[in-house]
Amino acid sequence: MPSRLAIALALFAALPLPLSAQPLAVTDMEGREVRLARPAERVASIPIPMASTLIALDGSTRRLVGMNPLALSAIEEGILGRIFPEARRIPANIAAPNFVPNIEALAATRPDLVIQWGGRGPDIVRPIENAGLTAMLILYGTEDRTRRYMRDAATLIGRPERIGPLVAWREEVQARLSAGTAAIPPDARPRVLYLQRALSGLLAAGADPEIYNHFVIELAGGRNAAEGLRGFTPVNREQIAAWNPDVILLNSFEDALTTDFVLRDPVLSLTTAARRNAVYKMPLGGYRWDPPSQESPLSWMWLAMLLHPDRFAFDLRAEMRAAFRTLYGHDLTEAETDEILRLGTQGNARHYAAFRAR
Amino acid sequence: MSGAALALPRSMSREALVLPALALLLVAAVLAALTAGRFPIDVGRAVEILLSAPFAEAPETMEERIVLLVRLPRVLLAAIAGAGLAMAGAALQGVFRNPLVAPQILGISPGAAFGGALAILFGISGAAMVGLSFAMGLAALLAVGLIARVGGRTEIVTVILAGLVVGALFGALVSLLQFVADPNGSLPAIVYWLMGSFATATWGRFWLALPGLALGIALLLLLRFRLNLLSLDEAEARSLGVRPEAERWLVFVLVALIVGSQVAVSGIVGWIGLVIPHAARFLVGHDHRVLLPASALLGAAFVVAVDTLARTATTAEIPLGVLTAIVGAPLFAVLLRRYYRTRLAG
Amino acid sequence: MIALESATVRFGDRTVLRELSLRVEAGRSLAILGPNGCGKTTALRAALGFQRLASGRRVAPRIVGYVPQSVAIAHPYRVLEVVAMGRAARLGLFGQPGREDRTAAAAALERLGLSQLAEAMFDRLSGGERQLVLLARALATGSPALVLDEPGAALDLANQARLLALLDGLRQERRYAILFTTHDPNQVLAAADEALLLMPGGGARQGASADLIAPEPLGALYGVPMRMVGLTGTDGRMRRAVLPAFAGEAA
Repeated sequence: MPSRLAIALALFAALPLPLSAQPLAVTDMEGREVRLARPAERVASIPIPMASTLIALDGSTRRLVGMNPLALSAIEEGILGRIFPEARRIPANIAAPNFVPNIEALAATRPDLVIQWGGRGPDIVRPIENAGLTAMLILYGTEDRTRRYMRDAATLIGRPERIGPLVAWREEVQARLSAGTAAIPPDARPRVLYLQRALSGLLAAGADPEIYNHFVIELAGGRNAAEGLRGFTPVNREQIAAWNPDVILLNSFEDALTTDFVLRDPVLSLTTAARRNAVYKMPLGGYRWDPPSQESPLSWMWLAMLLHPDRFAFDLRAEMRAAFRTLYGHDLTEAETDEILRLGTQGNARHYAAFRAR
Repeated sequence: MSGAALALPRSMSREALVLPALALLLVAAVLAALTAGRFPIDVGRAVEILLSAPFAEAPETMEERIVLLVRLPRVLLAAIAGAGLAMAGAALQGVFRNPLVAPQILGISPGAAFGGALAILFGISGAAMVGLSFAMGLAALLAVGLIARVGGRTEIVTVILAGLVVGALFGALVSLLQFVADPNGSLPAIVYWLMGSFATATWGRFWLALPGLALGIALLLLLRFRLNLLSLDEAEARSLGVRPEAERWLVFVLVALIVGSQVAVSGIVGWIGLVIPHAARFLVGHDHRVLLPASALLGAAFVVAVDTLARTATTAEIPLGVLTAIVGAPLFAVLLRRYYRTRLAG
Repeated sequence: MIALESATVRFGDRTVLRELSLRVEAGRSLAILGPNGCGKTTALRAALGFQRLASGRRVAPRIVGYVPQSVAIAHPYRVLEVVAMGRAARLGLFGQPGREDRTAAAAALERLGLSQLAEAMFDRLSGGERQLVLLARALATGSPALVLDEPGAALDLANQARLLALLDGLRQERRYAILFTTHDPNQVLAAADEALLLMPGGGARQGASADLIAPEPLGALYGVPMRMVGLTGTDGRMRRAVLPAFAGEAA
């Protein structure tokens, strides 16, 4: 089966390239006018997920001149560090982990464009503007926002031709999953619990349209087990026992967290999810698969295959290879694919055999 | 009046009523807590599980495991932590002859918080985390002692001022740790832990916290008459054969032991040490020989009740430290007004 | 017996007491007099063992019964519990007062005629009652020595007289060694058989009250002219009293 992403990319590649010398303007997600005389050659990115998105939008690390120290450690720990070994020489001192910019270090990278969080108040933005730098603000958390900031960033780095296929891919996979799950009655939708934190206090993703994990669970044909919660909310084990989810998804943020956390817990191990061995830790690709990213459609397909193996039979490994080729210009090896999917630690989980190399 | 009659004075008769009443209150709070929860288990079944627990095999069903492995260690941990915090507060207030003193004031809580946050940052858990929490609480205390000791003597006012300084320093160090912590990893863990909660209670954590809490509580109880003496003017206490400075420090170390053990397993649970001794004084008066056990029983019952609220009131687990502050601060205001009104009337 | 032998006390580089010697034997009482700031309190603290001596020696029993001056300290405990605290030195760090200690405390109260106060709250007592209760606590220590800081200074005349009579009785009947500070020469005549004058500018004179509570030594001590008067006591006996000269009167 040819990769949908590859087809979309081929279609868009036929479109004429815009003249790169023209001035560029974008209204960013905080409603600010961002103008550049020419496409940004040097981009500093303060939000953590944005660094890998910029690499994907450009297909290289060439334009990324500065990032959050935690973005760098994420890249070094994950597969992106092996694909782009030069990334570890990019300055990661332009901001503190809490997103407060270090203006002198930031200015020293001579950025044409600085990408910063919106919605967190002016204190982390004004210093950038005061230094005479151009800032673009982004918001996070939903699919719409993700497409919006990817499109804004692609425009400002002069790679609008890259964004079309990426968004088309997202729309295509989303439509396919929606169609495939539309006929499933509510009773047949597994009740899924996503734990954003586990090791130090349990934090559940609420049934809240603003929460990306809730969106993905519904998209993949599940129901969020954490009914009645908004946002990410602390819960206790007894509440999880009362919900008794059919599937438990563990975050990819906590390094030391494995499915044993659930499977060996005296109470959580008695949930339907644990009894059916339907406990999964979210994969870690070029970026984590639990929050939104350029790789999100892979995450949606992964979950849909786990929740409804009878309805979805993607060749996820092939999809991953195609996506990594397009996003990062990298040919995934079988071993890398296994590692991203955590086949070594959760290969025996329910329905996980579908992800094995054939 | 003969000596024999005085051996059981009237004060004892009130104590004889209040302490058993508080003990009953604690038992009631514990039983109510064990039968309440988000997982539906009817009260009869919960009691049956509890009664059969000593003879039963390892708990098998979800109901048994929830009562015996989730609720029981959590309720017991809340009870012993509440008892320890309340008694630590009562002891400090006696030693300082100041009803507004709490473990916070000696830098112990900020020190222990720093130790715990440090442990989370470096992925240390278990006994090492308890040790680090206690060690940092004690280090803060020693720093206070070194700063406050001027010319071979330690005045209480300088101890309080030094406590403020050291507390501010350790508070800043906790902020520093939060600043360098990974917002995806240890930062939310530290923030959640600092809010205080018994949600992560297991038997493992209970046994971890028990030695420090039990030792601190037991020794403070043994010191209850000594605390009356330590609450006297320094010269008076010395004339009665007390070594005020050394014995004060013994009390401080025991408080650090209690606070360090509690903080390591359940984060910062504030207000208990301030509010409960006041309420207990209202019931039994100032005599530490009655005040200490009364504070312990009342503190245990209060924390068990508030923690039950925290875990059952809503689907979400409400951070305990937030609840104790919301309940504790207004309660404290009421008690304070009553306290001074009765004193003015007298 | 309480004694200081050539005791010197320094605060930093300031010498507060220089080579002070004093001695109170069992059955005797000694009053320390002196103007403000001459070191009365320091001498008392030195005798109690609360003051590190730069040189010299202190001789005293391990526990010395102490009655502080301030009756404002309001221990919020029952009187019997306050008195039972006197037993602390016998109980050790983790000890609790038992039946025997309560009996001793009750006995101390009874000796001072305070039994009816045993169950009262200390902080509800009058100043005079408080000081008497603290005296009972000092007795409950079982120490043969008593040290009082300006006894009666805060008391009305009736309570002063009662306290001084009690002290004199304790000395004569129970052979207590009693040391106290005071501003009132007549207290010395009433309750002390010896006096120690801490002279301004250093130096001290110890001697019989009858010799030292006289116009010449007191005039030198306070720097104001003093006179001696004779008064008929309620028992018909003649007694002496000292008074400062009236304002404007020639020396």
